[in-house]
Amino acid sequence: MNILVVLRMIPDSAGELQLAEDGRSIDREWLDFQLNDFDDHALEEAILLKEAGGAKVTAVAVGEGANRVLQMAAARGADEVVALQSEEDAMISSREIAASIAAMARAKSADLVLCGVQSSEDVFGQLAPYVGALLDWPHVSGTNRIVANGAVLRVTQERGAGVAVTYELATPAVLGVQTASKAPRYVSGSKLREASKTPIGRATPESSGFERSAEIITLRLPVQGGSGENLGGNAETVADRLVSILAAKGLARN
Amino acid sequence: MASTLPLWILVITALALTAWRSRRYAMALANAPAAARFDRPMLRLQGVMVAIGMHRKMLRKPLSGVLHAIIFISFFVLFTATIDAFGSRLFPGFSLAPIGGETWIAALQDIFSALMLVGVGLALYQRYVLRPARFDGSSGSDAAIIYVLIVLIVASLLLEAAARIVGGSDGSWRPVASALAGLLDRAGMSAHAGEELFYWVHIGAILAFLVYIPGSKHRHMFLAAPNIYFRSLEPRGLAPAVPEAREAPGIDSLGQFDWKQQLDLLSCTECGRCQAVCPAYAAGLPLSPKLLITDMRDALAAGSSAAPLVGGVISEETLWACTTCRACMEACPVEIEHLPKIIDMRRHLVDEGRVSPGLQEALSNLIRLGNSMGKPSKMRARWTRELGFPVKDAREEPVDVLWFVGDYASYDPRVQEITRKVAELLTAAGVDFGILFDAERNSGNDVRRAGEEGLFETLAQSNIDEIKACSFNRIMTTDPHSLNALKNDYQHFGAAFEVLHYTALLAELIAAGKLDLHVADGARVTYHDPCYLGRYNGGFDAPRELIRAAGYTLHDMPRCRENSFCCGAGGGRIWQGDDGVTERPSENRIREALSLGDVAYFVVACPKDKVMYTAAIDALGVADRLKAVDIAELLVPRTSQALEMPPVETS
Ligand code: SF4
Ligand code: SF4
Repeated sequence: MNILVVLRMIPDSAGELQLAEDGRSIDREWLDFQLNDFDDHALEEAILLKEAGGAKVTAVAVGEGANRVLQMAAARGADEVVALQSEEDAMISSREIAASIAAMARAKSADLVLCGVQSSEDVFGQLAPYVGALLDWPHVSGTNRIVANGAVLRVTQERGAGVAVTYELATPAVLGVQTASKAPRYVSGSKLREASKTPIGRATPESSGFERSAEIITLRLPVQGGSGENLGGNAETVADRLVSILAAKGLARN
Repeated sequence: MASTLPLWILVITALALTAWRSRRYAMALANAPAAARFDRPMLRLQGVMVAIGMHRKMLRKPLSGVLHAIIFISFFVLFTATIDAFGSRLFPGFSLAPIGGETWIAALQDIFSALMLVGVGLALYQRYVLRPARFDGSSGSDAAIIYVLIVLIVASLLLEAAARIVGGSDGSWRPVASALAGLLDRAGMSAHAGEELFYWVHIGAILAFLVYIPGSKHRHMFLAAPNIYFRSLEPRGLAPAVPEAREAPGIDSLGQFDWKQQLDLLSCTECGRCQAVCPAYAAGLPLSPKLLITDMRDALAAGSSAAPLVGGVISEETLWACTTCRACMEACPVEIEHLPKIIDMRRHLVDEGRVSPGLQEALSNLIRLGNSMGKPSKMRARWTRELGFPVKDAREEPVDVLWFVGDYASYDPRVQEITRKVAELLTAAGVDFGILFDAERNSGNDVRRAGEEGLFETLAQSNIDEIKACSFNRIMTTDPHSLNALKNDYQHFGAAFEVLHYTALLAELIAAGKLDLHVADGARVTYHDPCYLGRYNGGFDAPRELIRAAGYTLHDMPRCRENSFCCGAGGGRIWQGDDGVTERPSENRIREALSLGDVAYFVVACPKDKVMYTAAIDALGVADRLKAVDIAELLVPRTSQALEMPPVETS
């Protein structure tokens, strides 16, 4: 089985987010980027499938810091790693990259495309459905367990409140992973160092081909004020302030 | 003599049995990887003299030390009797008489036989009446068998001499045996039969002892001296590098340990001194440094039938429990090296990805961002914003002191205030200093000790490159952990920086009259020696000088200086959960401080300690009686408002 797994780099939410001048995007210049957590799980699921029944895993990463993450993917067991060029300083739009992913799936004769169910820049979770549609392959999103039996996949999907459904579908397919069957493994620094020699392939983007359906007109960062109060970072003053707020609201004795 | 042949047969049989019983150990040592422990023979010998000749570490526990010294000296004196006993019948005609075997040597043997019995009596009293907790888990039967054999050997020696006296020998040099001769005489035993009987009991007991030793902790009679001789002479703060010849970074079978690490296992005396000082053991975690050693020793004896080492003989929980405080190694009288073993086995776990979720998160953050908290590098120097003055960027301009701030001091909101105090003190003293801003990375000290060698190398190399690109004279660290890494571990990369802890620099500034401080009125405080400042790097005095200079009176806790008790955060423990902990080491320590009864401040000199101990004080609900303060908080320049000392309730 050939598995293609998509790794998207997203802004590190622990950093200080600032609006770009146009007010419609985040100023990416000073940001740190990290691997989308769901994509991390997709990678782990791909590696687990490889370990369970043998597979060739190709990881394709897009965004700033892609090389570093691809080395990590190689250290974890990806057989081939490819960096997909993307527009610099722009958010990763599923609509934009879907065509490139689909083209790559064909080029690598993939039987299975895995990606995270969503990312902070694709809260709709559109990547898997877009790619599925372009390839005309079946797609399931929100998986938390994938078992392969030859060309037949059993895919479990979480529906909240402990309800889970299991689908059976035939490859080729596209799956949006919510969590891997096991938590992503740790790769040691020495394995990372070894993997830093892995050659990283390059891929140029295909044009999207989709008509633009909607557009971001404004982006807002969380603001102080309103019902929230920023208590600051000093533990002692925070504690004092908390106690006095609780006391003022009659929830605690001062 | 008629008994020569039977004695030869007995001796040869006993020697053969002893060799056979030692074969596994001998083979293991012979096949073990090499270790470079043959340099500096004079220094090595000197250490043996101090450790054994003066019983330096042994005497830290006075009763044990004294009783061991008595047994030890008596053993040497009585060895002359053993030579006599075997020599005289193996080689007819051999006798010590010409050099005093029947006069002064006889007198010494006589007196030391009695002393040996006193020593054994004290040992019995200690083991069976006092029963110190450090013996928990040691083999009781092994100790008992040895006591019985020693008593047999000594008693038979005395009785044999007594029988000879009954038979008409001169007893004037043997007061104890003469007294016994009176008893024998009254019992009506024939002198010759008695002499023969006790002789063979004596010989039998000695040979039984010999044959017994290879399977007993009493191997230390032969192995303690070599084990101390071949001790590590590296700086204490230097974790052992991964040998080039080793394929993977870690170790997962006993045979991969070099011969010195294996010799350690065979030398353990089961004295439990390490266990008694171990914070992980005290916290109820499944780690006793003694059992760590003896479990591996037993596995070595079991050979190929033993369970797998990592996760079998030594459980993962045991390995992760260690704070790398080094108290065990400091306490061990035979210089056993627990930590290199723990670190090597952790290296194996890390390489296999077998880490707890907490540790995985911290290490992943460190890989990604260079700090364990998952904060962006750009925020590393944020604490400087609230200073009333700019801090120099050491990457841009030359500085006298390059300040390596460290993760906790940089990012933790509870510590940043202290970091600013240090900056203010340096400025008040006119020190020309700068920092690395977002180029600084975690020093890797605890990363290394958590077994993540590859990540340590990445972090260290990045810091070394940044530091080398700066122009400075000395490095100062806030964190004792960074101090240790920069000063010791970075030597692996050929980096030799002059590194000092902020307490040392501040003490120097005060001594030079560059800091004019408010002087308190002698109020009593206690001080916690951080493991990586004190035990690892000998920084015991500077913090004490600072406390004195600020006008406080230091009331040390019982466990201070080399014997300081770890806060529980080191070696990556701070990134692990508290599962299985019955009493946090930090709370144990706060109780110790409270028991002093007259201190209001618990003074610390490590950013992690401020966090750990403030939490411990809150958890114990004693915030009204004790406050954890960083030493920098006690030092208030005269230009600022003096510190107000909280009132102390003495108990
Ligand atoms: S280093 Fe400290 S925590 Fe680790 S085994 Fe030794 S005494 Fe215990
Ligand atoms: S390791 Fe050292 S301190 Fe611990 S029991 Fe053995 S001999 Fe004693």
